[in-house]
Amino acid sequence: MTYLIFGNIAVWTGIGGYLFYLATVQKKLDLRVRQLEVSADEQ
Amino acid sequence: MNIRFFCLTRKDLKLIFSGGSGIIQPVLLGLILVFVFSLSTPIGEEVSAQAAASIFWLATSFALILVFNTLYSMEEINQARTGLLLSPMPLQLVWLSKAFSGLILLLLAQLFFFPATIVFLGQESVAGWWNLLGVIILVDWGLVAVGSLLGAVSQGHAARDSLLSVVIFPLLIPLLLAGIRMGAHLLGDAGDENLSAWAGIAFSFGAVFTGAAIILFPFVYNEY
Amino acid sequence: MSDNSIITRSIPALAITGAVGLVVAQYFIWVYAPVEATMGILQKIFYFHLPLAWWGLISFFVVFCSSLVFLISKNPFMDRLSQSAAEVGLLFSGLALATGTLWARAAWNIWWTWDPRLSTTLVMWFIYAGYLVLRQSIDNPHKMRAVCAVLGVVAFLNVPLVFLSARMWRSIHPAVFGSRGGGLEPEMMTTVLVCIAAWGILTAGILFYRVRQLDLKDRIRNLFIF
Repeated sequence: MTYLIFGNIAVWTGIGGYLFYLATVQKKLDLRVRQLEVSADEQ
Repeated sequence: MNIRFFCLTRKDLKLIFSGGSGIIQPVLLGLILVFVFSLSTPIGEEVSAQAAASIFWLATSFALILVFNTLYSMEEINQARTGLLLSPMPLQLVWLSKAFSGLILLLLAQLFFFPATIVFLGQESVAGWWNLLGVIILVDWGLVAVGSLLGAVSQGHAARDSLLSVVIFPLLIPLLLAGIRMGAHLLGDAGDENLSAWAGIAFSFGAVFTGAAIILFPFVYNEY
Repeated sequence: MSDNSIITRSIPALAITGAVGLVVAQYFIWVYAPVEATMGILQKIFYFHLPLAWWGLISFFVVFCSSLVFLISKNPFMDRLSQSAAEVGLLFSGLALATGTLWARAAWNIWWTWDPRLSTTLVMWFIYAGYLVLRQSIDNPHKMRAVCAVLGVVAFLNVPLVFLSARMWRSIHPAVFGSRGGGLEPEMMTTVLVCIAAWGILTAGILFYRVRQLDLKDRIRNLFIF
């Protein structure tokens, strides 16, 4: 029975981990866009 | 076309044997592997034929990586790659000649690995020397087909050996399985073995990757 | 890829449908499907394991197709699709391996069985992990895309050989290998189909989202360079 719980933990941690990674990439992209906006404003 | 092929092969082999470590590095690495692996069994215990075959093919695979890294690194200096790309011959000839040079070098290295396997891993019975040679050449064909196709991939990196290993090793697994089972059988592990089926796998592997290389090599070997 | 393309527009719909589908699948797994006779409630891990393995392999097939199309058309979208599908495939097949290992441990008390399907999945995992490592290692973007497309094609060509050799390898060791999924009752089959459908929709959602994110990354990078 515990194996079932471990299986669920593994699956959802894995998927959650990947989604978390995607979210971090998105944050970095957002930072870049804001830098671009700043440099565009300066021109 | 034959002349160009032989010219390329001769050039590569001459360069490898004349300067630098050439074939010594792969041979030494393989021998060290065989020796270290022989430490894994307690003294007095026998090493199974399958284990011996496995370590033989493992040493060969590592030698393969080093051999093809060396073969393809020769054109990295002085833009020699452009020279090859410009020469009036189909690019697949480059693949073929590198594969053939690699085969010769690999067979040479295996010439050292095989006695080491017999000596360090205590393999007494070898059934059928010609069969063994045939098996080795058949599996080597698949190995050099893959090595020559992907050898150019990791050039220009500091960690090119480990990169190539990470990429090539998983691809080789069916071939290694075939080589291990056939080798184990010929080293005396006479289980009820379907040798012809394993030979079929090794042959299909060589054929599939030769075909794939002929189509895909121009994409890998380009002016970047 | 425009901001209004069908891929971008379908992401929210796919995500929500996928999530709802997974909730529905939970009902099917725990209430609708019967408890199996021999293994008991532990067999339910199969309802995770099968869709993950299935969609992992299909993602790898997508890598193969998009790599092939990229080699022919040089469309960078195909390259992004290859990368996303490789990531999703690696994730799902990794999870399939994890759940398969837990199943094997619980059912037969061994951590690893040389089951040909499981072995093939493991080898494919290594191959595509190498694919992603290769992607990171090559700096020149043109070389990287071409070389990775070649590897993407070659990797999938290996699948039948890996499967055949793994099956032949196992036949020498007739140990304890029960058949997974053989002899399914009809309710179990329906549950499996529901799970496969739900996971498939979620996979598509994640895949499209990642493709779009890679596209954005490229567009921003191009802006930065100039």
